[in-house]
Amino acid sequence: MNKVDLTPAFLIHRRAFKNNSLLLDFFTYEYGKIRLVGRGLRGSKTNIQMFQHLNISFSGKGELKTISNWEVDDIPRSLKGEGLILGMYANELISRLLFDQDQHIKLFKVYQQFISRISSLEGRFNHWSLRLFENNLLSELGYALDFANDINGNNINQDMNYEYQSQLGFAQSHTGKISGKLLNQLLIEDIDNIPNLEQLKVCRDLNRQRLGFLLGNKPLKSRSLFFTRG
Amino acid sequence: MIESLNKAFCALPGVGSKTAQRFVYHLLERNRDGGMELAKALENAMEHVKHCSSCRTLSEKDICNICANEVRDSSQLCVVETPTDIHAIEQSGIYKGKYFVLSGYLSPIDGIGAAELGMDDLEKKLQDKNINEIILATNATVEGEVTAHYISNMAKQFDIQITRIAHGIPIGGELEYADINTIAHALSGRKNYD
Ligand SMILES: [Zn+2]
Repeated sequence: MNKVDLTPAFLIHRRAFKNNSLLLDFFTYEYGKIRLVGRGLRGSKTNIQMFQHLNISFSGKGELKTISNWEVDDIPRSLKGEGLILGMYANELISRLLFDQDQHIKLFKVYQQFISRISSLEGRFNHWSLRLFENNLLSELGYALDFANDINGNNINQDMNYEYQSQLGFAQSHTGKISGKLLNQLLIEDIDNIPNLEQLKVCRDLNRQRLGFLLGNKPLKSRSLFFTRG
Repeated sequence: MIESLNKAFCALPGVGSKTAQRFVYHLLERNRDGGMELAKALENAMEHVKHCSSCRTLSEKDICNICANEVRDSSQLCVVETPTDIHAIEQSGIYKGKYFVLSGYLSPIDGIGAAELGMDDLEKKLQDKNINEIILATNATVEGEVTAHYISNMAKQFDIQITRIAHGIPIGGELEYADINTIAHALSGRKNYD
């Protein structure tokens, strides 16, 4: 992998590097998360921005490779408000949890779908799309859950309620908050088959618990992007 | 001594050891007076320039000249990322209000949050002073937009007009050479022609 030509990628983070260069973190289709140097790019009028589908070329022999060329391969997006923050949150998840240069082809596609959602839709659509992204991320890291069967091996019943047993799966429970219907929706991963508001919140809490296990005592910083009083 | 001076010059942006060497020999061989002056000015500035206690820009006084200027309109507050941005806006000569400098942008992955950018100070400013308009002049980058979004949510609790500087085609620029995001921005932010 000394030289890679125009591979699909999203920029997920950039920071100043040395005098006038940038350190650029990308989520790529073929090479997963990768860090590249953008020589002389700092302060220049650059169109390397987050939340747009790019094709990037890079080369180099050592650990840290250099971006040599890129093109924007996307419609113009101007993310605003909540969508923007959800996007930053997803980027922080990638940055924190994926290992460098592990390929995640399906996750890349789910991320791409998520980006196009948050730049055109609002509310429930965006949140569901984010939950599916989180779910895929967890699966790719080896923490997939069985959404078709409960922990006793019985089929998930859409009319029943379940509770989550950490790292094991779902158990039928009258007092459980997770509906069988939600588990089915998580199984089929249809971006347009959106749970109701209450079940979306249940799903958010479920994912938060699952991700919290991986994030440990270093919580995500993106949550602070929401201005809250006090 | 020569080597340590060489190293010191490398602290400047865009200066590598080759350029630094040129500087060193130029000062030592051709312009010792200039070198002495540079040394004194540097020491002076490094020791005495601090941040304005009102707007956080670089200033040798506790309150900078712009903040202290009573002719300027205190009802307008323009929020920028860096002191250099103030310089750029001042050169245009069009703005007569006051400023607030963040010294960066929100970047959670780097651990830069609201506290690091002095958002508390900004919120107090919006509370205390009779500001009518806050102008969000952070960069037209995703990071700049995230920062503008945060500030606008903060400002919403007060009765203040919140505006964002326009982004679009540069003056003298041709549409053909503008990137699609700029064109999209310029179109969606179009104004009545008068
Ligand atoms: Zn000031």
